[in-house]
Amino acid sequence: MDLATLSFLHKTFQEVQRKQDWRAALDTLFVSLRGSFVFDNAAIYLEDSQTKASEVVYARAVGRGKAAEADSMWGEGIANEVLSKGKMILKEPRKGLSYANRLTEAHLLGFPLYVGGNMNGALVFIRFGGPQYTELHIQIASLQAFWATALIERKELQDARTELDSVQRQMRLQDDFVSTISHELRTPLGFIKGYSTSLLRQDTTWDDSTQREFLNIIDEEADRLARLIENMLESARLQSQTLQFKFSPVRIDALARDVAMRIHTHHPEMKVNFDVETLPSIRGDGMRIAQVFENLFSNALKYAPASEINIGMRLMSDKIRVTFADNGEGIPEDYLPFLFERFYRVPGERTVTGTGLGLYICKQIVMAHHGNIWVESVLDKGTTFIIELPVDPTL
Amino acid sequence: MSKRILIVDDEPRYLRLLEANLRTEGYEVATAQDGVQALDVFSVQPIDLVLLDVMMPRLDGFGVCQRLREFSNVPIVILTARGEEQDRVRGLDLGADDYLVKPFSATELLARVRAVLRRAQAPTESGQARFFTHDDLKIDFARAEVWRGEEPVSLSATEYRLLLQFTHNVGKILTSEDLLTSVWGVEYKNDKEILWVSIARLRQKLESDAHSPRHIVTRSGLGYLMPPTEV
Repeated sequence: MDLATLSFLHKTFQEVQRKQDWRAALDTLFVSLRGSFVFDNAAIYLEDSQTKASEVVYARAVGRGKAAEADSMWGEGIANEVLSKGKMILKEPRKGLSYANRLTEAHLLGFPLYVGGNMNGALVFIRFGGPQYTELHIQIASLQAFWATALIERKELQDARTELDSVQRQMRLQDDFVSTISHELRTPLGFIKGYSTSLLRQDTTWDDSTQREFLNIIDEEADRLARLIENMLESARLQSQTLQFKFSPVRIDALARDVAMRIHTHHPEMKVNFDVETLPSIRGDGMRIAQVFENLFSNALKYAPASEINIGMRLMSDKIRVTFADNGEGIPEDYLPFLFERFYRVPGERTVTGTGLGLYICKQIVMAHHGNIWVESVLDKGTTFIIELPVDPTL
Repeated sequence: MSKRILIVDDEPRYLRLLEANLRTEGYEVATAQDGVQALDVFSVQPIDLVLLDVMMPRLDGFGVCQRLREFSNVPIVILTARGEEQDRVRGLDLGADDYLVKPFSATELLARVRAVLRRAQAPTESGQARFFTHDDLKIDFARAEVWRGEEPVSLSATEYRLLLQFTHNVGKILTSEDLLTSVWGVEYKNDKEILWVSIARLRQKLESDAHSPRHIVTRSGLGYLMPPTEV
């Protein structure tokens, strides 16, 4: 490479890169190289990743095609050919054409563009009249195609980063306890306000059954609000670690049986099977662990009401493993990683009574005991919660 | 004749609340629990006002609002949560006429509905048409589908938006600047070439003879238009 060419390319590179806007950069690129590679029209087509339809994202008329406007040639045909064949295509007009036919038969040069590693675009140069393209011209045009790809990739990365910033900001907002609280509390509040003001309307009367219906809703929603507030306070205490745990020796099997019996008095239809080995005591907060069991029972009653509940407990070297299984409809695999997150509710489950905090609180309690909790589930077969709690060797 | 209101909310308890109150005022009520259902219901009966919940993630309220505005001037009131300013602004920008903040009282709801109906221009029929025809060109706005005769036409997102500019302004000359700004954005205001290419592609797909276009016609020096068809 001679020095003159090198410094020309260097200068061009700098000018192009300096343009932050990708279209301005492309303009600079094509104009700078037009001395060595002549064309009249240029267009870039990109395939939409979802619809697979091709969009024209850039078009320039720099030469003699300008006057013909929308009837001019923009190389769509050759772009489609490039997209389907995935390689460079050169189409020269037939020899001996009259001047009048110049606009309909042009020199067409199309290059595939590999944006993001996939062949999903085409850059087309169109020239009316003039000598044929030589190998050198094709090389220069090919260089521009590579460059154009880089510019488009740069733009897409910029767009992706802006999108990511926006999503991160959104997530930070959503994770903001305060904003989530207000959203969660407003739903039952909205019903209470709406239905009570309906009953208070002076310009209409409601028949008896409608009045009872509305009052029942208000009552239910007030309960829901109360539960929500209770759970939120608990969750906040756990979060700020102001929740005091009182550790003492605890027999988990006895604890679980107590909870089961208590729940059974309110729900006599519930059937629980225990499969428990002899287990040592562990060091823990009995009331909190009981809370975990209560929540698991409550979920099972809500989501797998007809199912039997099978509780197993095994000693495994340095920890106790508790399994809490039902034969309900199960939970789709996609949702399992999110189950223990605050306010998470499985999409599609329109339970008006859920708060979305139960499992989150369970996890916090288990972790405060240096244990672990996770879930396994198979659709139509059932769900199993697994809790592991470390054994205290001093007990 | 009593007005009919379409309520769109994926919470059955809100549907019940809104419907019960609206009926006491003599309104007729239609309901939908998701966006697709909303557009279907909207298209098969005359609707005078749409109450649209934008809070729930499952229901894309903003998408419904946007799609409705593509082919209808029907008054839209969005239901949103207090403090969610972005929701209110976004809804209004997308074409909603007013908003109602949850929790709301029943009397507030009814007053808001009355006010919006009062403000609405009298004929909502003109903005109501789900289908558009122009010679052999047919468009279903609710589904965003285009046909030429019996053949479905596949348009890119940009081409469809460009076509809508013409279908909403039949007989009116649209300048290149107007079209570029409306479809691509103000940064593309002077980017004439991209408009040329897109019109050329649109003609290829829609016209029987792209060189003698009947749907999108050039007026040299002035712009482009979709000429009115003779009745």
